[in-house]
Amino acid sequence: MNTTLRIGLFLTLLVCASHTMEAQTAVIVNRSVPASSMGLKELLDIYTLNKAHWDDGSRITVFDLKRGKTKEAFYEYIDMSEEDLQRIWLRKQFTGKARPPRSISNEEELIDMVSRTPGAIGYVTERNIPKKSNVRIVARVKQR
Amino acid sequence: MLPLLLLCWPAQHAQAQIDSDLQLFGSMQTVFFHQESRIDTEIPSTGTRNSGTETRNTFALQQMDLFFRKEIGDELTAFVDLEFQLNYSSEKQWGSMSIQEAWLNYHISDAANLKLGLLFPSFNHLNEIKNRLALLPYLFRPLVYERLLSEKFYTEDFIPEHAFFQFHGALPAGNWFVDYAAYAGNAEASYVSRNTPSGGIETDLNPNFEFLGGVDPSNLKLKLFGGRIGMRSRDEMFKFGISVTHDYNNLRDSTRYPSHILSGPARRILGSDAERFRIGSDLSGRYKAFWFELEGIKVIYDYDPAERFDVELEQSFFSGVLGYDITSEITTYGSLQYGDYTFGLDSDYFVYTFGGAWRVNESVTAKAQFIAYDEQFNDVPGDNLNLISQQVTITFVFLGFSILL
Repeated sequence: MNTTLRIGLFLTLLVCASHTMEAQTAVIVNRSVPASSMGLKELLDIYTLNKAHWDDGSRITVFDLKRGKTKEAFYEYIDMSEEDLQRIWLRKQFTGKARPPRSISNEEELIDMVSRTPGAIGYVTERNIPKKSNVRIVARVKQR
Repeated sequence: MLPLLLLCWPAQHAQAQIDSDLQLFGSMQTVFFHQESRIDTEIPSTGTRNSGTETRNTFALQQMDLFFRKEIGDELTAFVDLEFQLNYSSEKQWGSMSIQEAWLNYHISDAANLKLGLLFPSFNHLNEIKNRLALLPYLFRPLVYERLLSEKFYTEDFIPEHAFFQFHGALPAGNWFVDYAAYAGNAEASYVSRNTPSGGIETDLNPNFEFLGGVDPSNLKLKLFGGRIGMRSRDEMFKFGISVTHDYNNLRDSTRYPSHILSGPARRILGSDAERFRIGSDLSGRYKAFWFELEGIKVIYDYDPAERFDVELEQSFFSGVLGYDITSEITTYGSLQYGDYTFGLDSDYFVYTFGGAWRVNESVTAKAQFIAYDEQFNDVPGDNLNLISQQVTITFVFLGFSILL
């Protein structure tokens, strides 16, 4: 009985853990990017286009998802609404200061773009990242 | 077949390069406006009163801007803003086409950038985006920025229109950025040599020397120098700053001022360069569904003839807009503007405006705005040098679309 209970508990924890892993949003960068981890402020600065260059002076290319729960989780993490970001991006674009993020329809394509673009950053669901890819995880965001 | 492929390859390759490197985008705003003007004139000494009215309805392509942006390596960015105004047609001689900005930015770090070329200098909240109509919820900009009133308000009397060199950057400070900018540019545009109707070149400074239109023949003393220092929250929800410029007002150019000024006491101070300081302050932000923009400009002069003849030259302008986002697509606002225009006159003007904007989709925004303009002149020398008082009331209704290209 005890063993059955333990196995049951273990399986429940496993299922919960896998759910948590499924729901995890990861911020990924191209392997050329010098940063190994990133905090909230740095992500906010990058997605508000206030930080346009990495520490080694190379340009940052920002990718964004068009829609979905991953996007909602990431925006919630950086505490910005889509309307506010669009407004900021448009002002930066129209004053020549920065290029707005490239909006991608699905996560697989976004991973592919980040892996192929030096200096690129984006966010995806962690479980969608292939084991062998040219991207590195620099931050994790828990989805609610 | 192979030579054909070889012939085609460079062209396709070049196209790919252009697609990936050169960014081309823009905006246009098309409007319908209804205008009603009324002027009441009184000569207190004789008790005579006159009034006149005018009504105007028109459609117009108010403005179209094409932007070109190119990132050249990691440090350099080139940017061009090509602007077309008021149904531009060179054939019919309507409107105007102009290069509003054409600059190269050298990024040393996020805290230090050097911008060279024709550029909008940093001054208050609106100057850098004064012609980016798609970014503004309103159709009719605050008076001193509004080109439709350029005959009435000389923008350069209040704000620096262009500069040619700007050192600027943003320094992080906790949850804020400290923004700074210092710039230099040509003297006021009226000093710049221009083409005459007879095909010659003239300037107010040295009519015998100039051979090119569009060059500034003034010495270093008359050039524009200015800057802005401000703070901006990291999420860009609030920002404020103080701006200052130093340059000269070209009082040699008597063509820019209405005849009643030339016939009044101010005529005695014309003919020289008036040292001018433009001081601006701005505060703007968003809180939940509310947004606001406040801006003040004070123009002061250090000019001996004005003091000697007791002619007041100072000008001021204040503008406040309070808005509310009803939904993420619809916003409404009301605004109040006030200014005084001295230059030897006793004149005040007020503008009340309210309106709304509806973002139809990612590219199209429908806008509507009502504007009431009131101006009061007192003791202005009129015909036969009788002192007159004048009340000018203009109301506008603007309807239009702003479209991202």
